[in-house]
Amino acid sequence: MKISFVLNGEPVEIDTQPDRRVVDVLREELGLTGTKESCGSGDCGACTILVDGESRLSCLMLAAQLQAREIHTIEGFEQLGRLHPIQEAFVEIGAVQCGFCTPGMTLAAADLLNRIPTPTRDEIRAGLAGNLCRCTGYQKIVDAVESVAARGRHEAHSTEEDR
Amino acid sequence: MKNEKHDPATEDRSDFGPLKGRSLEIGISLPRADAYGKVTGRERYAADYYGSDLVWAAVKRAGVPHARLKSIATETATALPGVLGVLTYADVSGSNRQGVVRKDQPVLVNDKVRHAGDAVALVLAETRETARKAMDLITVDLEVLTPVLDQEDALLDGAPLVNEDHADGNTLLKGEFRQGDPLAAAEACDVVVEAVFETPRVEHAYLETEVGWAQVSDSGNLVIVVSTQTPFRDRMEVAEALGLEANNIRIIAPYAGGAFGGKDGVTVQSLLGLAAMHARGRPVKMWWDREESIIAGTKRHASKMHYRVGAKSDGTLHFLDAGLSFDTGPYDHLGGVVMTLALEHGGSCYRIPNVGLRGRAVYTNNPIGGAFRGFGVAQVTGAMEQMMDLLASRLDMDPLALRLKNAVRRGDKNAAGVTLVHSTGLVECLERVSRHPMWTGRSLWKQSAGPFTRRGVGIAALMHGSGYGPLVPDVANAKVELTPEGTIRIYSGVVDMGQGNAATNLQIAGSILGQRAEQMELVQPDTDRTLPSGSASASRCTYTFGNALIPAAKSLKLRMLQRAADLVMARGPEEMALIPGRVRNMATGTDIPLARLAQFMDASERIATHRFRAPTAKDPVAVDEQIRLHGFPHTLYSYAAHVACVEVDELTGRVDVTRYLAVSDCGKIINPQIYEQQVQGGIAQGIGYALSEEIVVDQGIIKTPDLSTFIIPTAVDVPPMESHAVEIHEDTGPYGLKGVGEIATNGPLPAIANAVADACGVRVFTNPLTPERVLEALSRAHSHDGGSA
Amino acid sequence: MRNVHLPETIDELWNIWEHDPEAVVYAGGTDLLVMLRKGMVNPSSLICLERIGELKGIRAEGEEIVIGACTTHTTILMNSLIRKHVPVLAEAVKVLGSPPIRHMGTIGGNIVNASPAGDTLPPLYVLDARVEILSREQSRLVPIKEFILGPGQVDMRRHEIVGGVRLPASPQYAIHHFEKVGRRKALACSVAGMAAVLNISDAGIVERARIAWGSVGPTVVTSPAVDAALEGRPLSEATLKTAIPLVENAVSPISDIRASAQYRKTVSGNLLRRLCRYSHSAHTTRAGHK
Repeated sequence: MKISFVLNGEPVEIDTQPDRRVVDVLREELGLTGTKESCGSGDCGACTILVDGESRLSCLMLAAQLQAREIHTIEGFEQLGRLHPIQEAFVEIGAVQCGFCTPGMTLAAADLLNRIPTPTRDEIRAGLAGNLCRCTGYQKIVDAVESVAARGRHEAHSTEEDR
Repeated sequence: MKNEKHDPATEDRSDFGPLKGRSLEIGISLPRADAYGKVTGRERYAADYYGSDLVWAAVKRAGVPHARLKSIATETATALPGVLGVLTYADVSGSNRQGVVRKDQPVLVNDKVRHAGDAVALVLAETRETARKAMDLITVDLEVLTPVLDQEDALLDGAPLVNEDHADGNTLLKGEFRQGDPLAAAEACDVVVEAVFETPRVEHAYLETEVGWAQVSDSGNLVIVVSTQTPFRDRMEVAEALGLEANNIRIIAPYAGGAFGGKDGVTVQSLLGLAAMHARGRPVKMWWDREESIIAGTKRHASKMHYRVGAKSDGTLHFLDAGLSFDTGPYDHLGGVVMTLALEHGGSCYRIPNVGLRGRAVYTNNPIGGAFRGFGVAQVTGAMEQMMDLLASRLDMDPLALRLKNAVRRGDKNAAGVTLVHSTGLVECLERVSRHPMWTGRSLWKQSAGPFTRRGVGIAALMHGSGYGPLVPDVANAKVELTPEGTIRIYSGVVDMGQGNAATNLQIAGSILGQRAEQMELVQPDTDRTLPSGSASASRCTYTFGNALIPAAKSLKLRMLQRAADLVMARGPEEMALIPGRVRNMATGTDIPLARLAQFMDASERIATHRFRAPTAKDPVAVDEQIRLHGFPHTLYSYAAHVACVEVDELTGRVDVTRYLAVSDCGKIINPQIYEQQVQGGIAQGIGYALSEEIVVDQGIIKTPDLSTFIIPTAVDVPPMESHAVEIHEDTGPYGLKGVGEIATNGPLPAIANAVADACGVRVFTNPLTPERVLEALSRAHSHDGGSA
Repeated sequence: MRNVHLPETIDELWNIWEHDPEAVVYAGGTDLLVMLRKGMVNPSSLICLERIGELKGIRAEGEEIVIGACTTHTTILMNSLIRKHVPVLAEAVKVLGSPPIRHMGTIGGNIVNASPAGDTLPPLYVLDARVEILSREQSRLVPIKEFILGPGQVDMRRHEIVGGVRLPASPQYAIHHFEKVGRRKALACSVAGMAAVLNISDAGIVERARIAWGSVGPTVVTSPAVDAALEGRPLSEATLKTAIPLVENAVSPISDIRASAQYRKTVSGNLLRRLCRYSHSAHTTRAGHK
């Protein structure tokens, strides 16, 4: 079955089985191995991708559901060759250890900040609660997301001042 | 797709993103070198190897805990279109046995099924789906045997034997340690407390489940890319099990997606190797799904521990007697070593003159017990630190004061008979805690609990030995190269499974050689390229490898300066200095780019290596040679003191950890960020161990085979954590450091158990402290009007 | 290989069923695709309902709030009508699964799944929700209590779908309470849960109470006896305690991997005691704490 969608900003058409899991399509057919699989049943968030800007579990989505959607994976998250502020904060603040949860966690953080641009620490924790991490204890992940939100606040503030 | 028959080696990472331009100084929080590749999704884990013409390998598992294998019918499965072959033990030409100490685990079952996760047959297929279908078509004829399901029943006369060839029946290993005269000492105590503790079997739950990729090269060599902690040991194990020469096997270990001890030893390796040998040169991938990972992988040992501790009326510890029993499942794996480390740490970090410790690891038909961060110490510390609180309560002493009174200091003999000749910062940790508001303000905080809420604060003191113990050489071999391109390449023999040693290596070598990140390259463990350096385990990675890397880097530095001095006719290397990308003649100010210098050096000169062997305890401790061989005792210990604040809900028994404090003595710190990561991550795992994690096994079958039933903490289950370091310089450590990898994992179970007991006035002796157990204890306390803690 | 249909209208769905009568529907996929992976179901083809606009959205319709079956939990959580009129439902959805599960999972799916642990079900019971069932030929409305027949069993025939759920906007309740007991704070399957809606007079007397428990019986448990035991009495610790035996009598929990039957029974009663936080005395002494 031919399926057309926008992948990381580029229109693509793939020919695949409609009932293949999206995580398999991404990893095995499109070579985008940044999307990880860890549980296969929606319990860990490692396979999180953005579908029309909203976080989704690619292990619980079938290929047919990609039709006409705008998909972002971690590979398309850098902007003009520069790290997205969330990625940058993850690196700087030490939110990355083994890194296997990182792509999913990063995209979950993006979804969260889209919904709540300046979340409290509790809101950050709640927003990331679908993404398991076994290395960090989450604290530096929360620190990183908080710093992006704070920077967003700061930037919004300085833009206002610039006017 | 990638991975056609070209070199599958990991890319030598030289793009460290935001680290670019930074000076690699010791003691500062630099971003990790591996973070950039991981946060962009570019890092290639073992899970990310595919390749065109890929063959999928999958394992048929026994499904019953104990049975004699009569026959395996594979014809129907083999006939399924898309199936390339179905292999059984008959296809294994080596010993078909793997194991770290005692080699008792079959690659594919040939005589008996010893646990439900045993591998019975191996399917090679064009797709994963076909492999799964084929598995259902394999018929395994088994004669079911009575399973051994309980570690006490296992030792009864007439109990079925798990491994008939083992001389000690179902006792894999037992050991005893004695100092002083415990029998007489018990009588001489003013107070003796006694308790029995049970801790659960626990799953590592790394995000990257067991996975690997393998191929037989054109020259006939077997290449395995695998998520492992032990590439060099894997090579020997696979060789022996499959009947190959070790030097015809190459193991490549990319960054692992978590391991925590669960990849300390063979998982997919031999099976994958066997599959590749039957794949006609095609690449083969095996990736256990979550359920298979939980069913077939190793677990933290379930334990039962009987403790008696006695003290004088002033709180001086006088006596300890403990019996420690560990369910090791059907195979040794590292069960004997885990039990031995538990034995050594049975009396934890205290001066106790009279000690009697007995430990045993017992074969059963339950899941395999193996290495897990904490490695036996998590269990015994859980028990001993609760004993300290029981004792404090009986003596009506402050629990911190009791610990401080008995805490080991440098020069003391600890409870395992080891004279502490290295840095010993426990007292400093405890004193720091004693001044912290979480401790000093605890009464006030407890009083202001809301409705239906009880608050409690608990403490735990910790000690964790690092390295392999007195006999097994704890060795690392570092290799550093000035490449022809003028970069510095570090060949690490120790896997980075997330602990950050690769980044630390970069920092160490970069600092010594005066180079910035962009002049550096990292090579991850690869038996063809890097040198044997032991396992990524035992809180040893940076201690042992760092101690090898520093002299290697210094030796390369001197050679570079000497050759540069010769080149510019300077008086000697003391006139030359390494600066980023160059060597500078300090007298003239002229620079030689490293790439140019490299041209003047022979390949053999551009590489420096150094071997380091960690120091061992010289104490003539009273244990038998088997126990010494299994690692008793260590000489170097890290220390810590932890505090947990909890709220217990009276209506549901739910325990909420609200704050957590860790003060650690792990020596000096090379990178504070990585240090904190280890402490925070360890605490979070410990919180799961304390409150929610338990692999439930019924009749040898795991009832919690996925992440919806095996409950690890989410972001909302972990409280704000505070980590402080008592930075005492350890003379033998690289830049004064000691191991930090495991110790934090050991604290939460006792600290939380003590906090819950403080809150409820009653203690639960079985972990995890599920709401159900806590509510039951609360109602017990209620009906007995307080009861005894 | 299975075909996966993606209808955009309900009419398209009926046409698909005409040609592919064995096709099984799913919405968010957070249950069906998990069962598929475990091999518990093996449909020949699938129909994904996520693109049918008619089945999505929340609107006020006369005296009712209507939630389309394919409305995601996230949408419900963010919706102002829900937050204003039936916050008990929002409270339940807030602790359902995790953010991505809430982005994908739908209320219709939660209802049809009919799990005893379904988080939205106790609120729907106390709110007297009615389930709208559609087929090509007709639509019918069934009270939720009658719609759910047992674990995983619902009053639905071949080629019917749930179109939505209707919540009466009256009576209005002043107090909306939901509590879930799980083994952790997120991504948790309910071990026991309780939804309660109450009205209290100025004098602190319970005028009307509707309470329901999840995960402590084959379906959601309600008890007219418990409701009656509270009505007409002051909302106090004493009143709530006297109702506990009635709760323990009403529930019929089982033991499973998450908790024992005894624990579930005890907690069902205990959860009732939490309602004393809404008593007038609690309000005056703990103003601003809620």
